[in-house]
Amino acid sequence: MFHFRLDTGSGIPPYLQLVQQVQQAVLLGFLQPGDRLPLIREVVESLAINPNTVAKAYRQLEQENLVTGRPGHGTFVNDTLPAAVPPATYTSLRHGLQTWLRRAYAAGLDDHTIAALFSSVHHQTRTATETA
Amino acid sequence: MTIQPALRTRNVGKRYRKAWALRNCTLELPPGSVTALVGPNGAGKTTLLRMSVGLLTPTVGSVEVFGESPATNSVQALTRIGFLAQDHPLYRQFTVADLLRFGRSCNVRFDHELAARRLTQLGISLDARAGALSGGQQSQVALALALAKRPNLLVLDEPMSSLDPLARQEFQQTLMSAVADGELTVLFSSHAVHELERVCDHLVVINHGQVMLSGDIDTLLAEHRLLVGPRVKTDPRGSRSVVEVKHSDRHTTMLVRQAAAPIMPGWQANPVGLEELVLAYLRRPVDAEAAESQEETA
Amino acid sequence: MTWMMWRQHRTEALALTIFVGVIAVALFVLGRPMHALFPLGSAHCLVPPLDQACRSALVRLQQDYGYTTTVLILLNFAPYAIGGFLGAPLLARELEAGTWQLVWTQAVPRRRWLAVKIVVLGTVSVLLAAGLSAVIAWYRRPLDLLGGGLDITAFDLTGITPMAYTLFAFALGVVAGAVLRRSLPAAAGALVSFLAVRVTVAGWIRPHFVMPVTRIEAFVPGSGDITDGTSNARDMILDQGFVDADGRRITGLGAVIMEGKAREGGGDPTIYLHDHGIQHWVVYQPMERYWTFQLIETVIFVGLAVLLLALVFRRIRRPAF
Repeated sequence: MFHFRLDTGSGIPPYLQLVQQVQQAVLLGFLQPGDRLPLIREVVESLAINPNTVAKAYRQLEQENLVTGRPGHGTFVNDTLPAAVPPATYTSLRHGLQTWLRRAYAAGLDDHTIAALFSSVHHQTRTATETA
Repeated sequence: MTIQPALRTRNVGKRYRKAWALRNCTLELPPGSVTALVGPNGAGKTTLLRMSVGLLTPTVGSVEVFGESPATNSVQALTRIGFLAQDHPLYRQFTVADLLRFGRSCNVRFDHELAARRLTQLGISLDARAGALSGGQQSQVALALALAKRPNLLVLDEPMSSLDPLARQEFQQTLMSAVADGELTVLFSSHAVHELERVCDHLVVINHGQVMLSGDIDTLLAEHRLLVGPRVKTDPRGSRSVVEVKHSDRHTTMLVRQAAAPIMPGWQANPVGLEELVLAYLRRPVDAEAAESQEETA
Repeated sequence: MTWMMWRQHRTEALALTIFVGVIAVALFVLGRPMHALFPLGSAHCLVPPLDQACRSALVRLQQDYGYTTTVLILLNFAPYAIGGFLGAPLLARELEAGTWQLVWTQAVPRRRWLAVKIVVLGTVSVLLAAGLSAVIAWYRRPLDLLGGGLDITAFDLTGITPMAYTLFAFALGVVAGAVLRRSLPAAAGALVSFLAVRVTVAGWIRPHFVMPVTRIEAFVPGSGDITDGTSNARDMILDQGFVDADGRRITGLGAVIMEGKAREGGGDPTIYLHDHGIQHWVVYQPMERYWTFQLIETVIFVGLAVLLLALVFRRIRRPAF
């Protein structure tokens, strides 16, 4: 059974943390197609978290076509994962990020600065993409 | 058909002798939501909570729980609400079993089984006297009593303020499990802003007896941005969308409620955390106009 | 609900039952030898002429038990002790402990809750008062011979008035609890108001419940001494003095001077008074009015209690706690 964690100090909204954990687990293969995600009630009991938050995370995962909710049975990881990101693209993106990071270190930025810069640009870009 | 809100207040004000404890309070809690009521001591939180369960009647305005005024004090209205007052008052000389019997004798749809099972799970003996239990256990007993009533709206006044971390966790677990079981709307007041994200989806910030901010937390967070940029000379405080401005020697930080607004060159938009957002609204001065208009209607 | 009230207040109810029980046992133990003085019953010695046995029993009663009449006055606090002890915490303890917020958000309307509470605890206090009043009535029956029928040593302790006082003290306690919000100050406030009303009614209002009887009697020369009061020691004497031949009343200092004159020379004063056409007059409430007075007094105190409780019902509808 998959286990969620919650880091309340992270500044990331709890529902987003749940979404990201599933996304990562799928990417890393910890969650396989057909696996059942814990029931909302189970997550609530283990994390003492608001059930509406869990429901919202599951809704978002469904919208992303990562999972399917079957009423009365649970929520299951989809067969046809949208990991339609071809391995080549994935590798190339990863490589690009590595190159960028090396340049940042070379320029004398420390980890904190890099993280701040990343989250700022990340957020700005995402907002721009969403509103576009 | 629109969904009937679990709690709706319209222009509610409460005056004690000459001073207003609460003014112009207009709120709607959707059914099934978990709402945190945040504000400093003396902001009017307890007044609002007591009015929402009918323990107080508003001086002006109306309060409705599922369309009915709780102040009617009818069996029907009382069946719908559950209340956990501050410091979880219990009859101290009663045993836990006595308290459950009390709950059963006072309520039609009291789930005695559920309460007894839950308390036994938590290791609370039904033969123990309420006064001899620890603070955390007392709060669990009070919560079990309130939940066994099967209310549609559960109101809690600083339920976790006196609990140690483990007791808080257990308390939140019980409360959130009850929400997961369905048909329950929760409104509670709290000081611990950093804990709210885990348990609530809606937020109401009140200060000086007025609602400063209210709404769905994720929406509120998405609407607000922390803008950081070079120091500006003009004070943009006049604009309605600017919540708070801070200047340092070279740069200015602004909290704005206009997520989609175009960003000036040289400025950076950062997301804002819940705690930061709440504190910014609590620091905001009171809207004097609103206060006056309430006094006229009173 | 009734169970709830019992569970919540059983400690006080039991304490009061013990309190009443101890008084009852004490009165029973002390009263047995007193009753034994009158093997034929004390009523037998109430109507003159008295036989020898009655006369000697009366002397012993006066000597050995005369003081108990004064001690009995203390029992006038019993209705307060019972009613106040149950009434004052009725609301005050809920307000003190914050449990009003618990009980008023159960599915029982406040007024019904209050009604049950008042009926249950009010009944308990009235029953305790009834028991105590019955025991006191038995105990003090021989003491009737020493007088005191409509005063605080008898009237206020027997019959139905103790129950009315208890109900009144109970209502005062409830109201004081609602206003002062703390049990102890409420009990103190109830005591002060209880005493004030009781003293006013017993001292100033009761003598005028019904128009008093005025009787004028000529002195029988040679009867030995000046008539005092009426022939029944248990009548309530409101005023007495002399009336001269012209029908003018002589009271106060005038009466004292008149009596002095009559006793001059050490002879039988009645001869002097009779010769001067002076008669004795007395204004009083006869003992036969005992039950009429009991009824009037009961109506007054029960009425006050009902009024006070109605105030609490009004207040509890829109609480501003």
